Amino acid sequence: MQRSSTTRRGFLRTSATAAGAAATAPYVITSKALGDATTPPASDRIVMGGIGIGNMGSGDQGAFLNRPDVQYVAVCDVRKEWRENGKNRADATYGNKDCAAVIDFRELLGRSDIDAVHIATPDHWHALMTIAACQAGKDVYLQKPETLTLREGPLMVAAARRYGRVVSGGSQRVLDDYHDIVDPCWSGELGTIKSLDIAVGGPSMPCYLPAEPTPPDIDWELWLGPAPWEPYNAGRCAGNYGTGGGSWRSYIDYSGGSLTDWGAHHFGGAIFAADLRELQPQSVTYHPATADGKAAAYVTLTYPNSVEIHHNRPGHLQTVPPSAVHGGAIKIVTDGQPKAGKPVPLYRTPDGSGQTNIYGDFIECVKQRARPFRDIELAVNTMTAPHMVGLAYRLQRSLQWDRATQQFVGDEEANRLVDRARREPWIL
Amino acid sequence: MAYDPASLDAPFKALAAFDWGHDAAPLAAIDAAVIAAHGDAAARDDVEKRLAAILAPGPTRAAKEYACRKLSMIGTAACVPAVAGLLGDADNSHMARFALERIADPEAVAALRAALGAVSGPLKIGVMSSLASRRDAASVPAIAALLKADQATAVAAAKALGAIQSPEAAEALAGAAGAAGGPLAAAIADARFECAEALLRQNRRAEAAAIYKAVATAAAGKPESRLIELSATRGLVACADTLAAF
Repeated sequence: MQRSSTTRRGFLRTSATAAGAAATAPYVITSKALGDATTPPASDRIVMGGIGIGNMGSGDQGAFLNRPDVQYVAVCDVRKEWRENGKNRADATYGNKDCAAVIDFRELLGRSDIDAVHIATPDHWHALMTIAACQAGKDVYLQKPETLTLREGPLMVAAARRYGRVVSGGSQRVLDDYHDIVDPCWSGELGTIKSLDIAVGGPSMPCYLPAEPTPPDIDWELWLGPAPWEPYNAGRCAGNYGTGGGSWRSYIDYSGGSLTDWGAHHFGGAIFAADLRELQPQSVTYHPATADGKAAAYVTLTYPNSVEIHHNRPGHLQTVPPSAVHGGAIKIVTDGQPKAGKPVPLYRTPDGSGQTNIYGDFIECVKQRARPFRDIELAVNTMTAPHMVGLAYRLQRSLQWDRATQQFVGDEEANRLVDRARREPWIL
Repeated sequence: MAYDPASLDAPFKALAAFDWGHDAAPLAAIDAAVIAAHGDAAARDDVEKRLAAILAPGPTRAAKEYACRKLSMIGTAACVPAVAGLLGDADNSHMARFALERIADPEAVAALRAALGAVSGPLKIGVMSSLASRRDAASVPAIAALLKADQATAVAAAKALGAIQSPEAAEALAGAAGAAGGPLAAAIADARFECAEALLRQNRRAEAAAIYKAVATAAAGKPESRLIELSATRGLVACADTLAAF
């Protein structure tokens, strides 16, 4: 399968050969570029850039920078400080000044030498950037939560498939952190799964923070992008991991709140453990708070195979007998009748060992043109669950979901919330 | 919670003067009223009228934004004139679309269609975006005409036609493909792929294959179109059942 880097790699390979023959290599190719015992030559490395180099983006950049099979050439961020930090980090790694630093992601995506990008912007940019990257022929590692609205998911999957791109979602925890529930469920020792309880925070909220002077080191228009215009406030766009206010993860225009942020992990781990990643819920049931206020509202998702996922069902994480638990966050109840198991899906590695991480899985899939562990379609299915939970809380009623049409059944008002208008000039 | 109109007078008075940084507590009562109006036609009419009144000259931008958000949830044809009046206002056009894009009544999409010829620049792109989201086939002739506009507008027109996916949209894209270059050519090809994928979903493989073949042929031999050619070939493989017809 052709990648955008083919010309570049061919050029490097040809140049290295020709240069070696002509004994001119020291003038055009560094020893680092030629590779050594632990580093592949540049012609065999995946050329990458990063979009959104703040907190999670910085972590992702570090993970890719540390890989000998990656050549990291560009960073993009609307904040000067993060942009420069990202560039300096890459330059320090390679001992040069070559890493480009740009404000506008379209400039980065326009580079024909870049094979793949990682994206860790606020969620309201994920779909637009991922689709644009696919159209530009880039493979994508996309931080979770991969989607902000239900409509975005199928469009992202379609773009990935249309252009033959490897698009990996970015929950590193799903395979790494939930062995306590994944392993016994996939081994079959616990029997058939009946229901799951997940405890994680709720949906995002409106942001009414006051206007503050916009600092000169942020491109505020580009930070907002497709989101409604609202005045700059440091708390509106702060990248910390809080979801209770004072961070973009708290607010409805940019995030689904804790429900989709940590929810991408907890729902992701539980849905993986229960092997529901190919499915989407068919209904979501809203349970109002009790009249005496002693029990809060909670929501139940029902899947086509009758498995139920309860979000924040009062008291049920503490009840016995739990069949499998993950801390205080997830409980899985089964019928207790052992059945035949199946191997747990693993990350892709050259030797099939699975002994890597989600970044290694992505890079290996880029090389092998394979679908990664958190392929975008599986990620979209997974994220459908917390999105539907959030809508049920917001509307305070139960909903039926038709996966084929990606619409709620018989609820015109709910269908309005499947997507939202994007601010001009951004068009999905 | 039952709908209580008298309790809303004070919150709506506060909303009219609301600005970012103000106490948002009064808005919570309106939030609750919007939810409580579900299934209650009289309540819905009342809260819709109150919200639409916020869109008249006077209330703040923040108030109008809030009102549009709520009208996007419960608005009907009744509020469309008030909302549509903001489509040409650079500060409020997006939030007007935020509401209109979601209002199912035909009056909403008709207002967007009417605005397409009346606004310019980024606002025109925004209106196209909303018409595309509504998959409004009736707007295809007007959008197709914009394939000859400036590059940003033309690219947006191609994206919109790709989302609408009607036969007329596919025809307009095919007609514009030959003369397009650069980003517009890529956008048109992408939009044609969307049309072909829609046909494939309907099992209309021969029609889909015709699009893929036309795109592949046009891209053949052009290094800058290699990705498009590969994608078109991938599409043709998906249409394999009908390849014999070609």
